[in-house]
Amino acid sequence: MVSAETTISWVLRIGVLLSAITLIAGVSLGEPILWLGALILILTPFLRVFFAALYFLLHKDMRFFVITLYVILILVIGSLLKF
Amino acid sequence: MEFMLFLLILLFGIFAGALGATLGLGGGILMLLFFTLALNIPIHRAVALSLLAVIASSSMAGSVYVRDKMTNIRLAMVLETCTVPGAVLGAFLALTMPGRYIEAILAAVLIYAAIISFRQAKSEKIILCEDRLGIGGEYYDEAKKTTVRYSADRLKTGLFASFLAGIVSGVVGIGGGIIKVPIMNFIMKIPIKASAATSNFMVGVTAAASAVVYFSKGVLDLQMSVPNVLGIMVGAYIGTRLLAQTQSPYLRILLGLVLLFFSFVMFLKAGGALVW
Repeated sequence: MVSAETTISWVLRIGVLLSAITLIAGVSLGEPILWLGALILILTPFLRVFFAALYFLLHKDMRFFVITLYVILILVIGSLLKF
Repeated sequence: MEFMLFLLILLFGIFAGALGATLGLGGGILMLLFFTLALNIPIHRAVALSLLAVIASSSMAGSVYVRDKMTNIRLAMVLETCTVPGAVLGAFLALTMPGRYIEAILAAVLIYAAIISFRQAKSEKIILCEDRLGIGGEYYDEAKKTTVRYSADRLKTGLFASFLAGIVSGVVGIGGGIIKVPIMNFIMKIPIKASAATSNFMVGVTAAASAVVYFSKGVLDLQMSVPNVLGIMVGAYIGTRLLAQTQSPYLRILLGLVLLFFSFVMFLKAGGALVW
């Protein structure tokens, strides 16, 4: 079975690479693609937290699962807040 | 965007990424100084770009750290419960603040960064205390060929400091590794290797929590993001794979002096004495 560390390590690599490719493509394709590239990069650490939650859930570590859910909640609220 | 500007940002990004990885500085501070002082970009936009650079460099370095099982994900999550709200709050605060306030805060952060770089990281005097929350950890020390076990001391102080670190990160656009590593190492007595790896995880999440606020407010310059992010990625790659981490005391003192100099420049800029 693939360990959590290996999975997270790959998530990070794929996220970074995907955003780099999208940003490079955006130079000729225009603003919406650039926007997407930046978004992918910003979401990469979020994914890391998401995978941590999954890891705790799979290991039935409910206390840390709840702690991680709380962090995700704050991240989501921060993304949606307008003032 | 002009080709020359693109190239300039790209090259500086490579430099900052490589130097950041070697010195354990992350590169956020260097990019920020470059954007505000060399390119004269308004501070809010410079902060947004710097946050993006921080996410890129931490994700690059993170894939190595995580694979080596140095990162304490439990400890990171517990501290994130305070850092992330701080980071969101900091970003909102910064967007309502006049630019020169942010420049003044940045100048103060630079003094702090200089002090930290003058001070040597505490080496491994590990205190094992009762680990009620289960946020202690262990890792395999390659150099000593042993498994190092540790526990986390003074959690409350650590949590409060993490909240402040989050605010600072959101306001001035650094991931805050320069604050988080000392919190874990000096206050919570986590060994430096585990502190650095765990901080790296947290820095990415903290920077992303702030970046998303700047991003959704449209403060992020998308054109400049390209050379910024690509430069940092290439630099961080070079820095983590090809260059050795350095602990040279001369280099740290030199870095401290450079940071002090730029802190002075930033104070002048905040006071309006520096216009160009």
